[in-house]
Amino acid sequence: MTTPLLEVIDLSTHFATREGVVKAVNGVSFSVGRGEILGLVGESGSGKSVTGFSLIGLIDPPGRIAGGTVKLEGRDLIGMAPAALRAIRGKRISMVFQDPSMTLNPVLTVGDQMRLALRAHQRLSGPEAQRRLIDVLSRVGIPDPARRLEAYPHQFSGGMRQRIAIAIALLHGPELVIADEPTTALDVSIQAQILTEMKSLARETGTALIWISHDLATISSMADRIAVMYAGRIVESGPTAQVLRDPRHPYTRGLLESLPATATAGTELRSIPGTTPSLLRLPPGCPFAPRCPGAQALCAAEPPETAVGARAYRCHFPLGAAA
Amino acid sequence: MSRPAASPPHDEAPFVSATGVSRRFAPSLPLGDRIVAALGGTMERRTVHAVDGIDLALRKGEALGLVGESGCGKTTLGRMLAGILPPSDGRIAIAGQAVMTGGAHPRKTTTRVQMVFQDPFASLDPRMRIGDTLMEGPVHHRLVSRANALSYVRNWLEQVGLDPDYAGRYPHQFSGGQRQRVAIARALAMQPDVLVCDEPVASLDVSIQAQILNLFLKLRRELDLTLLFISHDLSVVRHLCDRVAIMYLGRIVEEGPAADVYADPRHPYTQALLDSVPKLVLEDGAQVHFKPIRGELPSPLAPPPGCHFHGRCPIAEDRCRVERPALRPVAPGRAAACHFARIDGAPPA
Repeated sequence: MTTPLLEVIDLSTHFATREGVVKAVNGVSFSVGRGEILGLVGESGSGKSVTGFSLIGLIDPPGRIAGGTVKLEGRDLIGMAPAALRAIRGKRISMVFQDPSMTLNPVLTVGDQMRLALRAHQRLSGPEAQRRLIDVLSRVGIPDPARRLEAYPHQFSGGMRQRIAIAIALLHGPELVIADEPTTALDVSIQAQILTEMKSLARETGTALIWISHDLATISSMADRIAVMYAGRIVESGPTAQVLRDPRHPYTRGLLESLPATATAGTELRSIPGTTPSLLRLPPGCPFAPRCPGAQALCAAEPPETAVGARAYRCHFPLGAAA
Repeated sequence: MSRPAASPPHDEAPFVSATGVSRRFAPSLPLGDRIVAALGGTMERRTVHAVDGIDLALRKGEALGLVGESGCGKTTLGRMLAGILPPSDGRIAIAGQAVMTGGAHPRKTTTRVQMVFQDPFASLDPRMRIGDTLMEGPVHHRLVSRANALSYVRNWLEQVGLDPDYAGRYPHQFSGGQRQRVAIARALAMQPDVLVCDEPVASLDVSIQAQILNLFLKLRRELDLTLLFISHDLSVVRHLCDRVAIMYLGRIVEEGPAADVYADPRHPYTQALLDSVPKLVLEDGAQVHFKPIRGELPSPLAPPPGCHFHGRCPIAEDRCRVERPALRPVAPGRAAACHFARIDGAPPA
């Protein structure tokens, strides 16, 4: 097997707070192949966004990367000199954030801030730059791009702003785009447009995607592979449809059964009891054990990762497998 | 409920009714413009027609889901039904009794309708113990004596699945899901007949959302509540509601029994909305094709003439650009506001 584009091994990101150390990401390992779409799914506080931020060095104190490696084609990005990391960030790996009104500068025209992003990694003449900007804006479906370059972010709708954020992320033809809940703030009709466009753009350009979302349905329609996070760990991963059809981890099954779309209307949903544990005081052993219907004495010990073919899970008593 | 039912259970007369309800928002003009206006100049006011001539009826004990995208006016309509926002035109009544007085200073006239808001972090007073928050309304309205208030509140906490001893706690000591239970208990402690819930599960994680949906199902069974459930999430509405009304730019475009509307939508917008929702894909290597609605929601400041949806509609014709389609019956218990909606029993066009 060739080296994957991105290989994350045992990544841990901790935040020092007055109450103690928050282990937001706690030993996460995964890899992304060239052109592959990986869906990272989890509920709030599961560590999926912090994982995304950690990959490109966007963790500020009191947070710090406590351990692990993030290899882009074999080169470790953790501990890399800031200047070297800046040369990669925005060029080979870029990121799209949840809220486009926070990522765009309100006092610069769209064209000006795109030119800044362009100049950070490339010297182009004025007309060349202009052509590039128009090209990338029209690829993300902005009508009349030449004129819209002169407009300010507030003159666009939420969906159009997110398209601009995506255009900026695609500016340098990155090998990997990390998209953190990019459609969560949008209406369904706009979300459907963006999902369609992102997927076909990724396929056309061979860009790999890490698609971070809390929404299983969105991930299932986007991702080749899925990684389910809970309390800072990946508890299950594998080909998306296989995992969702036949989950091994009780948490994955619990999430699926919580969806009203999978249940008969008006019947009680088989929800997961309890709430997610505090990352300050993780229970010893399996973090899901206190909410797990199948927990037993063994679950007080941390379950190792078990890999079977393309799938992996962290559970002493996996579902659907012979005990 | 101790209060006698206003109408017999089999009466088909609407229990909650909105008749010809509109709500306009005109932003206050800047000072310069106000002076010009006072001197007799004409100023263009940018008026938003948030809700535009809506008729809606709920039977007693029914759960109606109000669905639409942001800016469609569903929250505004919900607030008017809850009696916390006066309509610009039209009348809202519960069992024939108006929920607000008219006149220059409208006031809510009934406690029979209560509201649960989207954000349980904003809707609870952070400086009040939740027990005090819960008893404030019922004590003031003499639903319970001050002496019995604590046991009354403890009972409602238990009803929504919380430990009664939590009455002494402050909102910050609760998780998001627990706070939403507190907000529901606060509304229920007023012994309402009607509950208006505005996106009550939108800010919650799926596993917590499922717990709260289960709570709503239980409360509906036990309390004979009439429920207006506002949501952008079609699957949540299908799960909880008997009927659904779809809103687009201030108007209801389709309504009917939830199962029928989802299975066989008659308005092109309903169809497009259903097509836009990502579905759980369980087949290996399945090629997923969304059929997104083209274009964007027009500005409610300048809605298009005729049918508001015509600019994005795949079947729009000239007529749709000028003539507003009426919400008319298309099947038993169903209505749609489209000139080309298929009507049961009518010959195919």
